[in-house]
Parts: sequence; structure tokens; C-alpha cells
Amino acid sequence: MILRYDGTFAGFLTAVALARERGVEPEAIIDQQPEQQALFAAVEEVATDRQRAAAFYGLLRRTLTPGALHTFRLAFRAAEPGKELLLFHFLQLGVVVGQQLDGMLAHERVVPVWKLARAVGREAHRYKGLVRFQHLDGDIWYAAIEPEHRILPLVAPHFADRFADQRWIIHDPRRGEAIIFDPSRRTWTDAELEVTGPLQLSNGERLFRDLWQRYFDRLAIEERRNPELQRQHLPLKHRRHLPEFDR
Amino acid sequence: MAEPTLAEKLEILADGAKYDVSCASSGSSRKGKGGIGNAAQCGICHSWTADGRCVSLLKILLTNVCIYDCAYCVNRRSNDIRRVMLTPAEVAELTIGFYRRNAIEGLFLSTGVIRNPDYTMELLIEATRQLREEYRFNGYIHVKVVPGADLALVERLGRHADRVSINMELPSRESLALLAPDKSRESIVGPMKRVGELIVQTREERKVSRKMPPFAPAGQSTQLIVGASGETDLQIISLAAGLYGRLSLKRVYYSAFISVNRDERLPAVVGTPPLAREHRLYQADWLMRYYGFAAGELLDEERPNLDLSLDPKAGWALRNLHLFPVEVNRADYEALLRVPGIGVRSAQRIVLARRGSHLSLDDLPRLGVVMKRARYFITARGRFAADLTPDAAGLRLRLTEKPLRRERWSQPSLFDGGAGMDIRSTITGEL
Repeated sequence: MILRYDGTFAGFLTAVALARERGVEPEAIIDQQPEQQALFAAVEEVATDRQRAAAFYGLLRRTLTPGALHTFRLAFRAAEPGKELLLFHFLQLGVVVGQQLDGMLAHERVVPVWKLARAVGREAHRYKGLVRFQHLDGDIWYAAIEPEHRILPLVAPHFADRFADQRWIIHDPRRGEAIIFDPSRRTWTDAELEVTGPLQLSNGERLFRDLWQRYFDRLAIEERRNPELQRQHLPLKHRRHLPEFDR
Repeated sequence: MAEPTLAEKLEILADGAKYDVSCASSGSSRKGKGGIGNAAQCGICHSWTADGRCVSLLKILLTNVCIYDCAYCVNRRSNDIRRVMLTPAEVAELTIGFYRRNAIEGLFLSTGVIRNPDYTMELLIEATRQLREEYRFNGYIHVKVVPGADLALVERLGRHADRVSINMELPSRESLALLAPDKSRESIVGPMKRVGELIVQTREERKVSRKMPPFAPAGQSTQLIVGASGETDLQIISLAAGLYGRLSLKRVYYSAFISVNRDERLPAVVGTPPLAREHRLYQADWLMRYYGFAAGELLDEERPNLDLSLDPKAGWALRNLHLFPVEVNRADYEALLRVPGIGVRSAQRIVLARRGSHLSLDDLPRLGVVMKRARYFITARGRFAADLTPDAAGLRLRLTEKPLRRERWSQPSLFDGGAGMDIRSTITGEL
């Protein structure tokens, strides 16, 4: 059995709950069209069922520790083909052993999920520093990022707390997803977003962009020059939307 | 000369501050509570410069005007350089502008000494006051205390800051007298002690009443220049141990001496700054703070300097082979911490994981143990992983790090106990 869900967290929980009810182990759980349809067993479409997902999530909350649950939520955000099956096995084990799961760091069903969670967690933390807002006409603060994993919802609370008085948007243009923050309601919403044409920068933006670039250039100590170390800390792939590297 | 623009002032004053090493933005946690900004407990890096150091704070001098003439300092009175000054309002404006763009975690404000220490302190207080009170800025502020400042001003400044620091720069009274004749050890240690008292006192008061305004909740730090004067590593880390112990400093930074002035009192500099030595000092410092080592275990009068080709923990293990191998399923946490290749995190994971199962050698890499180094010092279920019984000479060769090209050290974490890196040096253009 191959289950296809819509890519959402609730959709995935629905798929896992469905497989558990039937007592079968799926060959795969996927969120897009399988590439070689013919080779596979029939693909079953899972319709996202919020109530069912919530019920199953309630079960997870009762059986797993908050730490294990957090690991699961992070790992789900990973851009890793086949992560769904790893998570399925992880949850199957977790539902049986419950709180013991935390002590099973070396277990073969735990290790890969834990690694994914760590990679996602690291990237989310890193992007708390790498999101760079530009001030646009109309008093909107816009930032584009291209992370490897789907970390937008993971960084949103941090920015909501930090910039509670700004109208800001953080955009993942590769995935066409964005979070948009409304300071009057202090909440953010998920949105699909595509930017067409150049951004209309405010006057202050041009001034501060220039100030920042000059400041950044002055900061490096010539005697300690070490571009390799710089690349180690900040790989080129993360520099695309940083004004100090965009001249 | 024409009045300098804001951009010119920023360039000059960033130049003057960049040699100060401290850039940690950790250790303070503040929720955004109205106004703008918050402080993350673990610190956040926003970029990395061409020398590989992280950019976390807007690090500038308020002014590079200075009445002092310290031998190592780029801003000393006798240097013929362009002198500029930012107003407190300009400092606040720049900080907020960069902060709103999420380019920085906050401000690191240092300064030359203008007119006298107290006048300078008043300016620092005004800049930080505007940020906290007028902008209601909740981000991170690290500010320098001017040596010799009035203790009442020290207190006012600390009320606005997350962290304060007073740079010692030179590890002994003699070097200080020789290279920084305008500063006395007392003018540095006096404010340091006062800051320490206020930190402790305020922490106690805030337990009783949260109404009490905080005082430097992220503690105080200092910086020592390495290689501008003749002190041994033993002297340096003993001094650091004293600062951590007696004055409860949060962090001591080490800074490889970079020559910016020609001065017969300073050593002639050949080649690059002593970065390898700086790196080993950071490792030794780490061992004292997180691994329970005493300064006397790492160095003694016989060997007063750290070995540049071997990390200090491996060095200690080689001198104490009689304590090894340790059995990972039984050794207590403190003993695990002392194994080369096992860090704080992997030691914690071992202790956690062995509750659930009897660990084998294969489990260890998954828990983060670096087997390349640890294998000579541990057993798991009684099995030894290495292909030889350790003898100090043979092991030393295997544990020696070949310096690859120039300085490819991974550097000590800049966050107190977190991830992220920072290393840098100073010839600080400042206190």
C-alpha cells in the first residue's frame, strides 16, 4: 500500500492513523505523484481529516515526552525524500514504548529521525540570524530566504516576539510560501506568495543598506583573513539574500 | 577638513572597535515586552566577515578621541589619525536601523576616553538610556566601563546593559605599567569588583521583587592580549581562573596580539598573530569552565606553556594514562568528561543512553563521541577499541594535530555553552 497525502502536518497524521487502524505497514507515504507509477502498488489518496489527525495527535501527546514530540515535529519539516516512512516507524515504536523512547538514542528507528530533527533545528536557528528585512514603501519589512528545509513556521514565533511592532513578511520564494505578520493583531498567517517585478525600497532602506555594507567591510581584520573559515560558517548557498554579499 | 558624514564616522569608529574580541550575544533572555526587540538566551550570529569571525552586534566606538597613550592601541593619543565622534542619538539611531533589518542582535559600545573617564561614562549612559527608554529597545546591549570611572556611574550604566566589560588587556601589573601607563590595575579591578557586587546583589533583590531593574544580567567579561608582553600561558590561565572564581566573571576573552603601532616597548612582530596560541588558551579556558579542570592540572612551573601541537585535554590524558581506559557503561560523568573525544554533550548522552541499554563500541559514534581520539582511552562492555595498548609516546604521535595550511582551527564557541563560533583578536582601540 502506498499512501499519498497533501504534504500538510494534519494530512500526514491522517495517513499514519489510517495505516495504524488497518494494521498494515505502508510501502511508502508520499506527498506527490510517484514517478514510476507502474512499478508501484496502487496509490491510495488520503483525504486530510482534521478530527482524525487531532485525535491521533492527542494520543501522541499522552504517550510521548514533549522532547520526543518536538523531535517528530522538527523532522517532519525536513526536505528529505522518504522521511515519512522513517517517521512512521518512529511513531510506531514511540506508541509502544512511550516515555522510554527518550533513552533509546541509539535505536535504529530513532537515530535517523533524531538526525533529521537536528538538521532542521540547526537550520531554523541559523536563519534567525540570516533573515534580513528590507524596508519597502508602504512601511512593510520584507525578507526572502531559501532554506533547505521548510522552516518558516519554526522561525515565525521568534520574529513575532522580536518585531512585534513591524508589518513583516518572510518569504521562501523557491517554495512560494510566506508568513505574513500583522502587528495590530500580533499574529501571523501562512500565505502563498510570488513576487513579480522589483521591490519598491523606501528611502531609508537605501541609506541603511549602504551603511551596513560599509560597516561590514570594515569589520574584517586583514591580519586574520580567512575566507575558508568564513565559508565554513556561512556557505555560499546561504548568502544569496544578504545585502553584504550582494553588490 | 569637512564635517564627516554619518557613513564616514561609522567606518572610522567600526575600524577602531573591531579589535575587541567580545561578540557574544548570549546569556540574556528577554521577551519582547512592548517596544522593539528581544534577547535570545543562546545568542545568534547574523553574518561572518572575511576573517571568519561572526557578526552579532553593531560593534562601534562612541569616539576614537582618547586622552590615553597605550602602546598597543590604534587610537592612542600619539597616533595621528582622524578623530570623530557619534552623538548618543546617532548611536541609538544606527542600532535601531540595523536591528529592525535583523542585521544585528544588538549593540556593543566601546569608546576612547574623552576629557576624563566620568565625562565619557555620561555619554555611554545617555546612548544606552535613549535606546532603552526612548526606543524601548529590548535587544542586547554590551557596553564598556571606563577604567577609573566613578562607581555610581558604573551602576547607572549597568542598569541599561545586558553585559558590561572592562578590559584588563595585560596580564600583569608590570606589563600594564609598561604598555598602558595611564591605567592602573586598581582603576580596572575597582570597577570590576563593583560590577560583580551589583550583579550578585541585584540577582538576589530580583528574586524578591521583579520591580528591581536588572543589572548586567548576562554578567561581565574582560579581555587579555596574548603575546604583547612576556607572560606565560600558566600566568594567563591562572589569572583567568582567579577572575572566574573571585570576581565571578562570565567570560575571559583572549586576543592574539596584532601590531598596529611601531613602539620599542612592544615585541617585534614577524608573520601572522599568534592565533594557534590564542586557540589553545581558549581550549584551556573551556576545560576550566565546563570540564572541571583546574589551571594547575593543565600547566605547571615545569611546563608553563601550552603545547601548540596537541589540545590541552589530550595532553593532560597522556600525562595521566594510569587513569585510563574508562568503561563507558560505568564511569561517572566527571570521568567521561575527561576523555579526549568526549564532550559535554556526548558525556550527557552516554549517561542518558546507558540507562536504557548496555552500550557497545558501535553505539558511541552515534552519541557524538569522536572515536578517532577517544578509542585509546575507553572500553565498552570491557572491549577496547584501539589496536594498541596506549603508551604515551606512540599515542602522542596519533593525537598530534597537523596544522593544515594556515590556522584552520575550529574555534571555541562564542556562546557560553552554545553552538556557534567566534574568535578574534584585539589591539583594541579602546579600554
